[in-house]
Amino acid sequence: MLKMTHLSKVYRTEVVETYALRDFNIDVKEGEFVAVTGPSGSGKTTFLTIAGLLETFTGGEYHLDGMEVSQLNDNARSKIRNEKIGFIFQAFNLIPDLNVFDNVEVPLRYRGMKTPERKERIMNALERVGLASRAKHYPAELSGGQQQRVAIARALAGSPRLLLADEPTGNLDTQMARGVLELLEEIHREGATIVMVTHDPELAARAQRNVHIIDGQVVDLAEDPRFHTAYTAAAGQVRG
Amino acid sequence: MQIRPILATLKHHKAGTLLIALQIALTLAIVCNALFIIHQRLAHLSQPTGLDESHLLVIQNQWANKPTKGDISSLLADDLATLRKVPGVANAYATDGYPLSSGGITYGIGHSPDKLNFVSNTAIYFADENALPTLGLKLVAGRNFRSDEIGEIGGRDKIAPQVLIITSELARRLFPGESAVGKMAYVSDKPSIIIGVVERMQTPYVDSAMAQWSDCSTLMPFHQLVTPTNYVVRAQPGQLDDVAKRVRAALYAANRLRVISPEDGVKTFAQVRAQAYKSDRGMAILMASISVILLAITAAGIVGLTSFWVGQRRKQIGVRRALGATRHDILSYFLTENLLIGVGGVLLGGVLALGLNLWLMKQFEMARLAPGYVLAGVVTLLLLGQCAVLAPALRASNVPPVEATRSV
Repeated sequence: MLKMTHLSKVYRTEVVETYALRDFNIDVKEGEFVAVTGPSGSGKTTFLTIAGLLETFTGGEYHLDGMEVSQLNDNARSKIRNEKIGFIFQAFNLIPDLNVFDNVEVPLRYRGMKTPERKERIMNALERVGLASRAKHYPAELSGGQQQRVAIARALAGSPRLLLADEPTGNLDTQMARGVLELLEEIHREGATIVMVTHDPELAARAQRNVHIIDGQVVDLAEDPRFHTAYTAAAGQVRG
Repeated sequence: MQIRPILATLKHHKAGTLLIALQIALTLAIVCNALFIIHQRLAHLSQPTGLDESHLLVIQNQWANKPTKGDISSLLADDLATLRKVPGVANAYATDGYPLSSGGITYGIGHSPDKLNFVSNTAIYFADENALPTLGLKLVAGRNFRSDEIGEIGGRDKIAPQVLIITSELARRLFPGESAVGKMAYVSDKPSIIIGVVERMQTPYVDSAMAQWSDCSTLMPFHQLVTPTNYVVRAQPGQLDDVAKRVRAALYAANRLRVISPEDGVKTFAQVRAQAYKSDRGMAILMASISVILLAITAAGIVGLTSFWVGQRRKQIGVRRALGATRHDILSYFLTENLLIGVGGVLLGGVLALGLNLWLMKQFEMARLAPGYVLAGVVTLLLLGQCAVLAPALRASNVPPVEATRSV
């Protein structure tokens, strides 16, 4: 589903080159639930933005659903984002001026879908996250957990092949976070491929597989006790 | 189209939306009426006089030693002889007034001596047999004055001409559907015979009060023996500027006891026209300036508000891009948003434009605003809005999708 090979991302200024990702390799199979962990600044978010075609990369290869994406133009990348990828952001990223129904509708409108089909998909997605009765509410009228559920409904409505979640429970209290996580697990059980970036090792433990990033590279913690120690310490700071 | 969600968004930005819509409405109301006034003024100031203006100049001569009527008669004859000898002069005659001179005599003319029962007002021009060829007037019926028909008249003498030449518009009013030549008309208690009809000769006045009589003029066969005297001079083709320089010197050389103002004693007809329509041109320029300023302020308002909204919604734009919006989608979002505000503004503006016109009609006797002006204003403002919003909308379309992942 998602395969990056020797991928690199370099941010260049006049005086310095910074590698956000270096010789980065990952292979996520269809139907997997992968948690991507790592300390702050390790390159987790850069990985997610490249995986979601929000940003381009500097070198290497990236195959998404079997398609090499490095040469795609902006319109083609938009189309893939719209049709194949669902995003769940830490800050929910709902549009405050639109009600729940209209928020879920946003990606479907860009797909040029007819109104009856849009409406059916939106209501199905809202029922799926238990918020069908809140369709006319505005984001400001919902709790954080409910807002994230709306964001998940927005991501699900387009039936994406891949769900990318960036710290989906980062802005939620424990109870709300648990609810959102259970929803993601349920979606995964129904066959969705999910890649979730998180600081939280407890959350990561609920995923099928963990991928750890340090200094822009995927590392195997089980085989490198140095990194394991460093990572555990960092994770402890985050939790503390 | 995303009209419903855009309207939903605008509902949450009422103040900015209403301000811009109101600005568009007021601009439309004022610009429509201003364009209408400009067009009316331009039509007014390009109204033909019936004269061959490009070859004419006028001289205002004031005698210095208070001559008697008898003196003026010979002085006039001498001056006209002098003028006709100036190189480049084709012809000349003396008169009390001429079209666009903003001063002269107006009479009532009708079918009886009853002054209260006149058919039309008419401007009176004293003329001789040289007037028609000098002015380049086109005789459409009858004949010109003969030299033996030209009389002399003092400032206080009763005007009772035996023959008249009138304009075709006046002839139509006096004798609708008939030829006026040979018929009698009254400008005094004695009848005058109409011997000729000229195609057109405008009155001296350009104000709206005289608008309905503007082509009703009458030529009477007199030399007026008063001072000041106006000479109308026709130059040969291409000689007008040279003649304008020579005539003053020639007249002073013939007789120094006169005053011809160095500022405006000798004027080409182009200068006469410019002076006559100075206020019309001034009003047109004022209206055009107001329109341009208002349009510029409206455009600036749209640019400012849209730029503010783009900055405010940068994250939202990133989210939309992340969810699949193309650059074109974002561009069209802002263009559509502006169009919706613009449509609201022009609908209100159209009503305000008609209301303003009704008020102007009542207060200043302005004509009814033609719907074409409102339509032109609507199109102008909608296009202006789209042009004004283009730069900020293009900036918005360049917001990268990765903006969605950035914290504010």
